Amino acid sequence: MFPMITKTLSRFHPLFIRSLVYMLQASEYHVREYLAWYKRVEDFRTVENRKVLVWTMKSVALYVCAWVLFFFLLALTVPFLVFNGGVGYVLFLVAVYLVPYVFPYVLAVPVLFVQHVIQKPIEWFIVRNARKTLQAHAGIKIGIAGSYGKTSMREILKTVLETDLNVAAPPHSYNTPLGISSFIKTLTGEEEVLIFEMGEYYPGDVKELCKLVRPDIGIITGVNEAHLEKFKTLERTQKTIFELAEWLGETKPLYINGESEHAKRYTEEEGLSHAQLYSVSDAEDVQTGLGGTTFRIGKEEYTSKLLGVHQIGPLACAISIAEHLRIPSEKIHEGISKTTPFAHRLEPKTDSTGVVTLDDSYNGNPQGVAAVIAFLGSLKGHRRFYVTPGLVEMGDRTELVHKDIGRQLAREGIEQVILIRNSVTPFIEQGLQESQYGGKITWYDDAFKAFEALPHLTVSGDVVVLQNDWPDQYT
Amino acid sequence: MKTVAVFFGGKSAEHDVSIITGHTPIIQSLQATGEYDIYPVYIARDGSWYSIPEMNNLAYFKKDLEEKLSKEKKIRFDINDGLTLIWPGLREKKVSIDVAFPAMHGTYGEDGSLMGILRMAGIPFVGCDMAASAVAMDKAFTKQIMEAEGVPVVPYVWFTKYQWETKRDNYLREIENLSYPLFVKPVHLGSSIAISKVRDAGELKNAIEAALHYDDKVLVEEGVENLIEVTLPIMGNERLTFGAIERPMNDTDFFDFSDKYLGGGKGGGVNTEYSEIPAKISEELSQKVLEYGERTYRTLGCAGIARVDFLIDSQTEEVYVNEVNTLPGSLYHHNWKKVGVSGVELCTRLVAFAEERFAEQKDTTFAFESDILSKAGGQKMHE
Repeated sequence: MFPMITKTLSRFHPLFIRSLVYMLQASEYHVREYLAWYKRVEDFRTVENRKVLVWTMKSVALYVCAWVLFFFLLALTVPFLVFNGGVGYVLFLVAVYLVPYVFPYVLAVPVLFVQHVIQKPIEWFIVRNARKTLQAHAGIKIGIAGSYGKTSMREILKTVLETDLNVAAPPHSYNTPLGISSFIKTLTGEEEVLIFEMGEYYPGDVKELCKLVRPDIGIITGVNEAHLEKFKTLERTQKTIFELAEWLGETKPLYINGESEHAKRYTEEEGLSHAQLYSVSDAEDVQTGLGGTTFRIGKEEYTSKLLGVHQIGPLACAISIAEHLRIPSEKIHEGISKTTPFAHRLEPKTDSTGVVTLDDSYNGNPQGVAAVIAFLGSLKGHRRFYVTPGLVEMGDRTELVHKDIGRQLAREGIEQVILIRNSVTPFIEQGLQESQYGGKITWYDDAFKAFEALPHLTVSGDVVVLQNDWPDQYT
Repeated sequence: MKTVAVFFGGKSAEHDVSIITGHTPIIQSLQATGEYDIYPVYIARDGSWYSIPEMNNLAYFKKDLEEKLSKEKKIRFDINDGLTLIWPGLREKKVSIDVAFPAMHGTYGEDGSLMGILRMAGIPFVGCDMAASAVAMDKAFTKQIMEAEGVPVVPYVWFTKYQWETKRDNYLREIENLSYPLFVKPVHLGSSIAISKVRDAGELKNAIEAALHYDDKVLVEEGVENLIEVTLPIMGNERLTFGAIERPMNDTDFFDFSDKYLGGGKGGGVNTEYSEIPAKISEELSQKVLEYGERTYRTLGCAGIARVDFLIDSQTEEVYVNEVNTLPGSLYHHNWKKVGVSGVELCTRLVAFAEERFAEQKDTTFAFESDILSKAGGQKMHE
């Protein structure tokens, strides 16, 4: 009863309009995502939580437009007053009451209009120019597709190839046609290797990117439930990612993560026998700990500062590509030794009290999570904490995926599990209980509270994994 | 859920430090457990009591405090049947407190005053009881008692403001028997406030005047040559747990207020960056520190938690007990962390110690039936 009243009243709060603009901005102006989020909101006054509205040209314009539209809708209710007597007044009040219900949908109209009538044609020209520039570029183009691990793969590859070649890659996680196009504008033409991440949000996305990038070498880092709510089925995700394999054909080198069950199975089913599967089994004498990882491939021994055995596969892939590009062996060794954890991806930090925090807040996929829990489990002689709000966009696999996390945490004997209250973490608790978990489970209402509590829960020598981070639209 | 009242602030030079201790680690740790209903009781510099939920957040105290307080109602308390906090008004609110957690440094708090109220209320409270708190608050008393117990302390002279004003020459002559450098300290203040190092007789009077500005009793003591300062946090009632022996690695002459609290550092509260934990001292010295630490703790009747400070002459390997702090700044949680006790464990254990002591006190008979009243006013009572 009370949440209903809060939701209704918060629609009449002055922050309502600002919240809608923020939701559009945080959803990157994807109307479908914005509307899905809008339906979930329970209090429009507290939508800005993890982040706040950033005043850009676009958001300012939309904010002004929003108020104009809002008053326009209110103005439309005035004619009801011309009806005689109480009826007109009642109709007027009902109409005013309905304005905040209609308004969020009306606000989507100018956004869609600008996207389709102005933005799309402009983008089409930008991407076309980028494609032409890239076609004339002599560098070797490497495309990386997959549900997870693309950025890590890109960083490893860049670090290794950079020891001998002039390598460039789009910054951050620019993996859409527009993002890649803006990067292409910065190229000098001197680059010998260009590495591109290929983001998949909807079927056909990877194919589009292949047309733009025209990769000479391809890497498929794995297939899983990421973005399942958009793709609906894993088969569709798989097919989209393997659009890269289709583009490369049988003549161009293709590397596929053999540790990804779905990717491996699809490779076999599609008869992609020319593809090279990479995995931890390529290496021997593997050792990993908080200080880094060592392994041997053939007679060559390598050392990396990356943590966890799940890094061996991508490292082996990078070695293989480096060899393919005829980079001298000593340079490859140098490159592997330079690979270090990237920001928020199992990045270790030791504070002044001797607590080691492994920030894995950018890792929100089941395979990555399983690898990290296995790594945490392998650390002996420490008290281990695992902090998570669970994973998002798992679709109808949500229960299964989270129970699995719980079971694995119990199996690895992780001493303390800290869960953030939301719709998915109870499944982790169920998984823990089903596996007779003997450690301690602690609950917090939000991630902030958990982060505040952590310094008071930990002591010197403890290891804390911060797994995944939920943006506002999922909380 | 158990109600815990955390007391901080106070009419003390260490008012601000107390606010930090109250929050880091106490309130934050108790909140992290999710097992307590926490009532912050803030005692303002003028002695007024306030308690609003926002005071559970340290940020409340960082800006415009006076202005915010002017809009708040003061609370009252009742000590019939335990401690009850009362928010007056048309809809008066009352909350009965299960455990009190004093986080008061210095006068009107750490000195036993607050413990007196809590004893009268008859509820469990964290930390040392009234007598131990009062004795430890007076650096001269502490030395006198430890000296009588045969625990080494450095030679000292003490006097009150009145004695200094009336018999100054006598005390100056007594001080002449001590060898320089000397330290002049107000006996009741903690956090090293108004302590001066005096290198010759010329500086002495000024240093004493400065100390008397803050206190009505002053201690003048010998400095230790080849000095190593260490400190030892201890917790427990009967069975004791030791923290790590910690050596403040300051480059000034002594560990003063700004070293302790204003030096920054990530953990909040006490500065941890200039400390060596555990102190790199010999096994023999460590053993002496632990032994004197325990004797001091027990002799003063400490309970819950305390910290004993030592002065060591690294050449002669003499260890002296310097002073006792019954509420170490921020409970020395950084130190406890090094020996595997988290803030949450520290605070929950302290609450458990408080309850344990309270239960034991309940078993002690304080009442004694007598017929003295019936005889009063009648025949002569003495023989």
